Amino acid sequence: MTPVQGFIGIIVTEYVVNADAKMMEINRSRNRALVSFIVLPMLFLTVALLGGLRVSAESYAFIFIPPPLVTLVLAVLLSLLFVRGHLIELPRWVASTNAPLTNFSHIWMLFTLFFASAQAFNSVLPERGLLHWLFSFFFLWTLWNNLFSWFDASRLVRSLAVLFGTAFVLKHLLLAGLYGQERGWLQRVAGALLQGVSLGTLDTPVFAPASGYISFFTLALFVAGLLLIPFAQQREAVDLAHPVIVENHLKLPPSDRVIQ
Amino acid sequence: MRQRSIQAAGILLTFSYAAFIIWIYATEPRTFKEVATSAEIAAGTYQIDQEKFNSALALFRREQFRAARDEWLRADPAQGDARTQFYVSYAFYREGWGRVYYDQDLIKQGLEAVNRAIGLTANGSFTVDDPNLQMHTAAELKAELEQATERSWSDVNPFKVMRTRK
Repeated sequence: MTPVQGFIGIIVTEYVVNADAKMMEINRSRNRALVSFIVLPMLFLTVALLGGLRVSAESYAFIFIPPPLVTLVLAVLLSLLFVRGHLIELPRWVASTNAPLTNFSHIWMLFTLFFASAQAFNSVLPERGLLHWLFSFFFLWTLWNNLFSWFDASRLVRSLAVLFGTAFVLKHLLLAGLYGQERGWLQRVAGALLQGVSLGTLDTPVFAPASGYISFFTLALFVAGLLLIPFAQQREAVDLAHPVIVENHLKLPPSDRVIQ
Repeated sequence: MRQRSIQAAGILLTFSYAAFIIWIYATEPRTFKEVATSAEIAAGTYQIDQEKFNSALALFRREQFRAARDEWLRADPAQGDARTQFYVSYAFYREGWGRVYYDQDLIKQGLEAVNRAIGLTANGSFTVDDPNLQMHTAAELKAELEQATERSWSDVNPFKVMRTRK
């Protein structure tokens, strides 16, 4: 091989590598746009749809329960937690330097996230009685405490998965077992004792087992959506850098940033 | 440019989906079949089961009002057809009518049905050309049903037993 051939070979290789890198960058950008503007809102809207859906134990008919007021309060607290835990970088999502359509899409996504949060709570809260207020109180207490704790995005999602998982087990396994239609004598006795002790305030409506499956699917979708948010926010590149550099970099307007 | 088209498509798609969810929660369908029926009504393609309607009409003419209503319910499960609701209301009226007194429960249900029928028409009035009926408009039927719910001194008039059912 002559030196000229070697030189041409190097140039061609560099050109191919650059073209590959550019193509990868374009694909990454498209995938992020797809996740951010289509997949995530659709996912959160599905959670909003299924969160209030129950199936009647008698007729197997659909029952749609709109989110109670307390779930909206809980969703507000959770939204604050998302911002505080840096799961949502609000100043980057909605900025005067962004294109209007981008800002609009991000605000719309935040709306869907808010209603998905409210419906995720609706899905695991008992529908009425003392237990509804007990569950609401524990959710409020936990979220209020979390607001003053140190969180990063991944830790926050893990904590929320555990919180919703616990509520799911309590409502759809424990309570459904105590008050369900197909229960043994021991469960009947335990249910009657609980009713007696609480003067009937623990009364909770009975739904078909399908309601539990729907709730499980809803919560799984919600947590999956939360896990996808950092991907949509292009965080993986900046996570590798030093936190101080990242913080200073994030303070720059989007047009001045090296990593968009 | 590609990103902007993804954004626009996303907004369009998710807004339609959100509208669907609001509609589902507003109409509260109980089964997948009801979801389909409600969608047909919203799209303006809803049609009643004509065969069941005719068999209900035959029962109505034989004065089997309860059976007729059941059949009409099956013909128009979404209660979205004004004509069927008019006949349902008429069946309630005829069954609730009494020479001495009206069955208020049935009359009340008849009023609900006729109000539904009026609500389903664009201008709130329509005519049914059936020679077997004495009232042909929803307004006439509604007035008769409302009169049946009212109490007055004329109720104690002994000549009231001479009145006829329409």
